[in-house]
Amino acid sequence: MSGLRSAVFYQDPKAALAWLEKAFGFELVMLLEDAEGNVAHSQMEFGDSYVMIGQEWSADHKSPKSVGGKNTQTVHIQIDTDLDDHFARAKAAGAVIDAEPQMQFYGDKTYRCRDPEGHIWTVSQTVQAVSREDAEAASGLKITGWR
Amino acid sequence: MSSKVFVALRVKASPERAFTAFVEEIGAWWRPNGLFQTTPRAPGVLAFEPGEGGRLIETLQNGKIFEIGRIVAWEPPARLVFSWRQANFPPDLMTEVEVSFAAVGEETRVSVEHRGFDQVPEGAARHGFPDETLLMRLAEWWQRLLTSYRDTSA
Repeated sequence: MSGLRSAVFYQDPKAALAWLEKAFGFELVMLLEDAEGNVAHSQMEFGDSYVMIGQEWSADHKSPKSVGGKNTQTVHIQIDTDLDDHFARAKAAGAVIDAEPQMQFYGDKTYRCRDPEGHIWTVSQTVQAVSREDAEAASGLKITGWR
Repeated sequence: MSSKVFVALRVKASPERAFTAFVEEIGAWWRPNGLFQTTPRAPGVLAFEPGEGGRLIETLQNGKIFEIGRIVAWEPPARLVFSWRQANFPPDLMTEVEVSFAAVGEETRVSVEHRGFDQVPEGAARHGFPDETLLMRLAEWWQRLLTSYRDTSA
């Protein structure tokens, strides 16, 4: 199937697999471990997509924990319902909250948090339909390709 | 420790039904794979003999029976463990498969963990694959098997 998938690197990928299930409800659908118990490959499913959780397998594949908390990309979680419940669950699992749930001009309620190794995750639920004109007026941005 | 290949999916059935479909209908949902041939012959039909110590057998087209493994744990509807041995394995090599059935709301999460496949030595059963490739192929096969199981039986 064509599509985009992210691989996310951790110092301790097994702990990440457990945490991501507890915090975000991701479900492990594939895991390969070598004879020493190291994670060679894994996939966690959410909705109709998945992320791959792995170890720091080269000098250029690093967890934020290894590079002073820096992120060069974030993975976004889009959900259909109950953003506040999602937030509560993540917080209870120990997510570090960067931004509490709040409404955005484009009609989504969002929050932003960090997992135990410092990966930033954004979470969003569309709660109202906003027209392009209204979004432009609210944000001051010129918007192309609104849907 | 031994290597581990884990795959899981959800089926729209109770754990009881999911367990029954797995063990009683394996002959219908099983999909042989040329990379993981149980015997050098054409694929036959698989069946479990229920209960601990029971065999997982393959009845070949000539009527002969090949024993793939034995049931090590029989705990319906939650758990099943059996040994897995292909004819092209060395005599002392045995791998192990654990199947779990966990209720998730109205559905059941069925997971398979196949342990020890990295011990397969160079030769007919490995196809020259390094560990990671071999385990990935095994995982992909189990994913196809579980998908077939879900769509055919569970």
